[in-house]
Amino acid sequence: MKLYETTIIYDPSLEETRINEEIDKVTQPITAAGGEVIDVQRWGKKKLAYIIRKRRDGTYVHVKHKSPPTLIAEMDRRFRLNESVLRHLSIIAPKDEPLPEVLPGEGGEPDAMATPAPAVVED
Amino acid sequence: MAREGESRSFRRKFCKLCLDKVERIDYKDDRRLARFITDRGKIVPRRISGTCARHQSQITEAVKRARILALLPFTTDQYR
Repeated sequence: MKLYETTIIYDPSLEETRINEEIDKVTQPITAAGGEVIDVQRWGKKKLAYIIRKRRDGTYVHVKHKSPPTLIAEMDRRFRLNESVLRHLSIIAPKDEPLPEVLPGEGGEPDAMATPAPAVVED
Repeated sequence: MAREGESRSFRRKFCKLCLDKVERIDYKDDRRLARFITDRGKIVPRRISGTCARHQSQITEAVKRARILALLPFTTDQYR
């Protein structure tokens, strides 16, 4: 079991309920494999720095979890097959735990859409 | 970027991240990382920014990750 951070960029046209379903699709296999979902952050809709599959925006979801390494490969495979995932990235989380949580682009970018403060949901 | 002119005598460059006592640079912190890329999206070399080796390698890794997640651009060409 290792501590991972997975960030997924979903198609911006997906609705809230669909996003929730998608998140379930990520978290369920983790718990099923004996892992643990530590934190699910929804960064909301953000502007992409460059166009991915003709989309200028993406819905960001960030998941912290403990998983067996074999699951990461399987997750990767599923993300690739999933049409609504624009991008994904899993990294091994830095060891020395708590780093000040920064949400990207917090009030930084000049008026990056009317995103009402990236919703942080803790499950 | 901090370009030291000849007229500026011998001012030593210092690592801004060491000054701020930054322990780790997070790839999610795109605003901080934005200071270390040029307007073309390139990573600013140490010789220009004066960052120490340790922090520079952290920046490099973080920028590359942030690029994958489209938090930072690979290049700005496509908008011209």
